[in-house]
Amino acid sequence: MTNSSPGPAEPVAGADGHPGEDLLASYAAGRAGTVDAWSVEAHLPGCARCRAALSAYADAERLARNRSVLLTRAAIGDGGRARRVLRRCGIPDYVLGLLAAAPSLRRSWLLSVVGVLAVVAAEAVAVRYGWIEAGRPSHLGGYPGPGTLAPFVMVAPLLVLAGVAVAFLPMFDPACRLAVAAPFSGFTLLLVRSVSALAAALIPVVAAAFFLPGPGWLPVALLLPSLALSAFALAVATVLDPRTAAVAAAILWLVPVLLLTTSTARGPLLIVQPDAQFVCAAVLCACAVVLYLRHDRFEWGWMR
Amino acid sequence: MDETTLSVRTAAVRVHGLSRRYGSTRALDGVDLTLERGITGLLGPNGAGKTTLLSVLATVSEPDGGQVSAFGLDPADGAERVEIRRRLGYLPQELGYHRHFTVAAFLDYVAILKEITDRRRRAEEVARVLAVTGLEDRARARIRTLSGGMRQRLGIAQALLGGPELLILDEPTAGLDPEQRLRFRELLSGLAGDPVIVLSTHQADDIAAICPKVVVLLRGQVHFAGTPAELAVTAAGRVWGADERDPHAHLSWRGGDSRWRHIGDEVPDGAELVTPTVEDGYLLLSHAAGAR
Repeated sequence: MTNSSPGPAEPVAGADGHPGEDLLASYAAGRAGTVDAWSVEAHLPGCARCRAALSAYADAERLARNRSVLLTRAAIGDGGRARRVLRRCGIPDYVLGLLAAAPSLRRSWLLSVVGVLAVVAAEAVAVRYGWIEAGRPSHLGGYPGPGTLAPFVMVAPLLVLAGVAVAFLPMFDPACRLAVAAPFSGFTLLLVRSVSALAAALIPVVAAAFFLPGPGWLPVALLLPSLALSAFALAVATVLDPRTAAVAAAILWLVPVLLLTTSTARGPLLIVQPDAQFVCAAVLCACAVVLYLRHDRFEWGWMR
Repeated sequence: MDETTLSVRTAAVRVHGLSRRYGSTRALDGVDLTLERGITGLLGPNGAGKTTLLSVLATVSEPDGGQVSAFGLDPADGAERVEIRRRLGYLPQELGYHRHFTVAAFLDYVAILKEITDRRRRAEEVARVLAVTGLEDRARARIRTLSGGMRQRLGIAQALLGGPELLILDEPTAGLDPEQRLRFRELLSGLAGDPVIVLSTHQADDIAAICPKVVVLLRGQVHFAGTPAELAVTAAGRVWGADERDPHAHLSWRGGDSRWRHIGDEVPDGAELVTPTVEDGYLLLSHAAGAR
């Protein structure tokens, strides 16, 4: 074996081709240079004598500590396939660790969202194809029977709002007091959870809208109202109790949708038409400003 | 320099005129306190304000009045509050758990909240607190499968993450069996770095065993602050042992030796003075304050 950097102060290989005692000692202590370490590691599998010699230099306490850390890492786990994929997408591991405690990202919640969407979407499909009786005949933008989409238009943004609310309401985080007393920024935690809940809920909502027998622009038209409602809930939570804020946002959506559904034959699709989209964009911008200006409310700990 | 001035200068945590109300209930009423490095026991009955005081110290609750400072930092200031939290370990009285988490994953989550973002360092820290609290072999267990005592140890483990300088433990021995309580005392006594530790408890023997300083909180006010021996001395000459129950005693109960133990100012018939304990001193104070 050849030492990469021989010298009087450097660990050297033994004359018989085995690593010298100094080299084994420095390798065991983690002080050997990279090339020396590679040489030792290449030699050890085929040499029982050197393995035995190396064990004499091993620091039992350090080994036990390393073993304990390895076992702990295995016990913590890597968070499953979804977390591995997101990590490969460049999302920092610690951010993904925070998401593990968000209830609206759990499989049971997401399945519930998909279930509700399936029911309202199936209702729209059944009415559209005449499997169940339709309401008043009407047209909107060339699309016949917009009233059939009433349940879906009403429920879809609410599901997104509910996902965000579950992500930030203290009542859904049993360990919320630890989050409050921790140095990690409360506002960052809130944003991380809310944005991930928003994304997780929007995906099935938009996907369901694509499959519905409605106008082609419906999936995109649902985005702004969903974002505006969620931002409204967060902004109001800087002033009121978070639960009240979530309920207020839900009422803000339900009242106009119900009024439109009952008062006009063109149904609730009006609320996702261009004028309404403009209003939603304005609400979204205003709420973003409020959140920015009042984010200290979340730093104190909105979960208190 | 007098002793009070010296105490103020060396105090790691200072509380002055602290008050906190919940509706019409005054939970804290002008609390003055200094905490130095070492263990301070907070003793008081239910509703005395212990949990409120600890949650204010842990920067979880905002006081209505008064000042708090920890290591010279003011929790009312945003940046200084975060700095306090960086040095803090906190075990709330009713710590909830994400029950689907494993023990190790829960500690990993709390370590992230404590800004330990490097994955390897987090694993090292989690391994350390698991070893310290004797939970190594339960690292993979789901929290919902743990007994109450084990969950309490998990709560203590999360508080120890990051090696806090200020450790606030609200009833840490609740739910622990006698052996686990002894291990807990050993654990606290062996903590490195000489942190400031405040623990609340109903167990006077915990205080006597490990706390060099004890504070008695009654009806939101500090009624005693000193050593456990000084608390016991407050009952000197007022604790009696007798074969019969004395109806005039403030408090009396029958001990394991079948003799009655009386606390009061009048000497029961045939009674003899006995050496007071921390519990005697605490009970006498509670009785005097009308808290019981």
